[in-house]
Parts: sequence; structure tokens; C-alpha cells
Amino acid sequence: MSRRKVLACRILVGAVLIGLWQSGAALGVLDRFFFSRPSDIVGRVWELFARGGVWTHLGVTLAEALLSFAIGGLAGVLGGFLLARRPLLSAVLDPYIRVANSLPRVVLAPIFLLWFGLGIWSKVALGVTVVFFIVFFNTYQGVKDVDPVLLDNVRMLGANERQLTRHVLIPSALGWIFSSLQISLGFAIIAVVVGEYLGSSSGIGYMIAQAEGVFDTTGVFAGMAILAVFVLAAGALMARLERWLLRWKPGPRAGGFVD
Amino acid sequence: MSERAAAVEIHGVSRHFRTPEGGLYQALADIQLSVRAGSFVSLVGPSGCGKSTLLNIIAGLLAADRGRVEIFGRPLSGINRRAAYMFQQDALLPWKTVTENIALGLELRGVVAGEARARAAEWIERVGLRHFGGSYPFQLSGGMRKRAAMAQVFITDPDILLMDEPFGALDVHTRQRMETEALALWSGTSKTVIFVTHDLEEAIALSDEVVILSAGPGSHVIGRHAIPLARPRNLIDIRTDADFAEIYRALWSSLRQEVLRTRV
Ligand SMILES: Nc1ncnc2c1ncn2[C@@H]1O[C@H](COP(=O)(O)OP(=O)(O)O)[C@@H](O)[C@H]1O
Ligand SMILES: [Mg+2]
Repeated sequence: MSRRKVLACRILVGAVLIGLWQSGAALGVLDRFFFSRPSDIVGRVWELFARGGVWTHLGVTLAEALLSFAIGGLAGVLGGFLLARRPLLSAVLDPYIRVANSLPRVVLAPIFLLWFGLGIWSKVALGVTVVFFIVFFNTYQGVKDVDPVLLDNVRMLGANERQLTRHVLIPSALGWIFSSLQISLGFAIIAVVVGEYLGSSSGIGYMIAQAEGVFDTTGVFAGMAILAVFVLAAGALMARLERWLLRWKPGPRAGGFVD
Repeated sequence: MSERAAAVEIHGVSRHFRTPEGGLYQALADIQLSVRAGSFVSLVGPSGCGKSTLLNIIAGLLAADRGRVEIFGRPLSGINRRAAYMFQQDALLPWKTVTENIALGLELRGVVAGEARARAAEWIERVGLRHFGGSYPFQLSGGMRKRAAMAQVFITDPDILLMDEPFGALDVHTRQRMETEALALWSGTSKTVIFVTHDLEEAIALSDEVVILSAGPGSHVIGRHAIPLARPRNLIDIRTDADFAEIYRALWSSLRQEVLRTRV
């Protein structure tokens, strides 16, 4: 199917779903108190941006997400490289990494609140625990996955270890790292919002929690809608960057939200 | 070092591998070989006998269990810095353009980028890849990738060229053209070539000497045959030459048994 057709069908599906929701609310099948109404939600989002109060919340969530993305991503890439190149270290640490990764992140949120306070750093910490593992496992796999013939070839051409990393390992792992970055940016945003929701004084998650506190369903949905647009936009940006960096790859790229 | 010295000397080299089932497989046993500097020598043997293993040992990519390898009289340890290696599989870096791939050997040696590119451009011309310098490997045909690989190894001007069935995957005609071009690039240089193939005709057509390896396990040298065909050689017609046919018959009788012995 052509791209245009796919796009048209996508929009159609969205329109039908929203239309059903709207008419369900109009006919009284869906109780407006519990389900709100698409038109109300759009109105609320508009109002929020017009009044301007939402900008600070959005800025806080964005800052937290980017910080956890940067810190977790960097640590994940470095850790993945290190363990992939040091089989002994990787064998020793393997069970600990698995245990750490299997902890449910929500359980960590209150502990991070205690450790880092109500400000942004407890949310960043939560985001980092999510981003780190995704990027770490993908980088590790990507480095392990490198074609040994390419390593031999570049070695014979005269490369030392550092040059081997730069010319072979990093570019080879980049495909894996990138698909993990796209996913983890989305998860970073979700994680910091969960953190905000559980205890903070600003951010989209805080906004949603506030609305929920007064049974303002429209407010909750408005927060969710803003969040969704935000995650999609971030994903699209990453996809563009990936497409440029991986321009040497034939055919369609694997992974990603948006093309 | 005198020109008559051996470029590569192999004394009693053996190598085994661990099999997936946990056993040991003796690939090479007691290999003896001496390759005269400046000569074109082919290693021929049945599939799986250990030709690539031997080439990897000469390259310094793989260690022997026993025995010694000497390169121009010096014991080899680590990567063989006087050799370049053209691999059986595609070994161009997919994320680099043709120009970047060809310039890589120079870049790694610290040649400044501008000069490395200029010399890569010359090599692109020499191997007939004009207008493809900016292409990525996936955009090239199999034959063009081999041309790029050839430029990639020749640009560093190695004393020894190791070639592992470099044209094995190509169709007959492309293959013959590539062989002709490889010979042209080599002739007039003092480079030593060790060329691995399982194709006896190809070995005879190209080489000064053909070395026959026995079937594994425990592959070793069972024959060394000088090929007294005049150079330059016309590879298109050489296979119909009477001398060629006679050499072929003589060598085939010893290779034949090894091929038959190979369990497939
Ligand atoms: N890294 C390895 N691990 C285990 N077995 C190997 C390895 N490399 C080669 N072998 C085995 O050694 C034998 C010789 O392999 P190779 O040198 O590739 O043969 P050739 O190049 O002559 O076809 C084969 O039986 C192969 O299965
Ligand atoms: Mg082989």
C-alpha cells in the first residue's frame, strides 16, 4: 500500500474512534462524568495552552525526560560497550544486572522520593533506571552482533583497539542503539510522569494527579493528550535523526514509532 | 634483507578447533611451507581442509598450537604488519562509502585525510569504479564490491597479499576479468601473493607455484608444483593451452584423491 493510503487509513481510524466516543457521550451511552467528551478535552487543552499555565509543567516534564534520557542513554551505551568487550566482567555481573532489571520501577519511585526529594531529581532517577537497561541491553547485543570478518579486515588494515571501536564497533552497534533510543525516549517520558504523579509539585504527571483529585476527568484526558502528542513528536524527531545516521543501510529500517 | 629470502616460512604448524559437540578437530597438522618473495603461490585443497585457517595463521589473526611462522626471516607474533588480506566474504564496511573504505588503510596509518582521499581516488580509477566513490557497498554489484576490496588492500602497498577465494562468489566471466586485473596489479611489483582457492584451474592459471593440501582432519602439504607457464598470461585462452592441460592432469591426479577423501 502506498504511504498516502496508509496515512489516510490511519486518520480514518482515529476519526472513527473519536467520533464513536463523541456520539456515545452525546447519546448518553458514555457517562460524561467518567468518560468526558473529545470536544471538551480539545477545549480544555486549548484553554490550558491559552492561559499558559501548562507551559511550566510541560517544561519540567521535558527537562526531566531529557535528563534521564541523556544520563541513562550515555550510561547504557558505555556499560554495554564495556561489558561486550570484557566477557569476564560481563559473566560476573550478569545475574546482578538481571535482578536489577527485573525490579518493578513503580516500587522504586517512593524510595527515590526519599533519597532525592520532591524535585526533579527523583523523577530523573526513575527515568534513568528505565532508559539505562533498554539502551544497555541493545548496545551489548549490537557490539556482540558485529561481523567478525569486518573486525579482522580492519585489524589487518592496521587498526588499533581504539580505531576498531571507532570504525567498526560503534557504527555497527548504532542500528541497535538507535532503535533502543527511540523506544527509551518514550519510556523516559512515561517514567518521569509516573514519578510526578506519585509525588511532586509540577509537571504533566502532577497536573493529571491534581485533576484526578477533584474527579476532573476532562483534565486527566487533557493531560494524557498533551503527553501523547509530546511522545509522538519526540519519536518522530528521533526517527529522522536515525534515518540520517543510518543512511548506509539498505531498505526500510527496523523499529521506531513514526516514519 | 635479500630478495631471495622467503617471504613466508612455516615450520610444523598445527591447529585444532573445539567442535560444538565438545570434541577436538585437528584442522592442520605439521604444515611445512616456504613461499619465495615476489612469487604468486596458490594453496589448493578440498573444501574444509583448512586453507582459510592457514591463511589466518599467516595473517596473525589466529595463533598456531604448535610450530613457527616467519615473515621475511622474523618470527611472527600478533598481526602480520607486512601483509594485507582479501577475505572470502564481503569485508567492506557497509557504513563507509567506496572512497572511505579504500582510504581507510591509509587513514589508520595516520595519513592526513586529504591525501588519503586523493590516493583513494586514484585507486578508484585503477579498479574501474569511477563515479562510484560516493556509493555505499549495498549499492554496488558483487563484482564492483570485489574491485573496491582489491583497491582497499592494494592501497597500503603491502609486501604480502593474502587472498582467500576472493572471486569464488562471482560468475565465470566477472571472475575471469577480476583475475586478469588482479594479475595486472601484481605483475611488475615485488609483492608476494598467497592465493587460496579450491579451483585447480584458477590456481594453475594464476600462479608460479601450486601447493596442494590434503583433506582434513590433519591437513598437511602433499605436493608443491612449479607452474612453468610464461608470463604475461592470457587468462581467457590459457585453459585451452596444451601445456596447461598437461599440468592440470598431473596435479589433478594428486588432488583428486583428496577431494574423494573429503566427507561431504
Ligand atoms: N573458529 C572455528 N571453530 C571451530 N572449527 C573451525 C573454526 N574455523 C575452522 N574450523 C574448522 O576447521 C576446518 C577447516 O576450516 P577452514 O580453514 O575454513 O577450511 P577451508 O578454508 O579449507 O574451506 C573445518 O572443518 C572447519 O569446520
Ligand atoms: Mg575457506
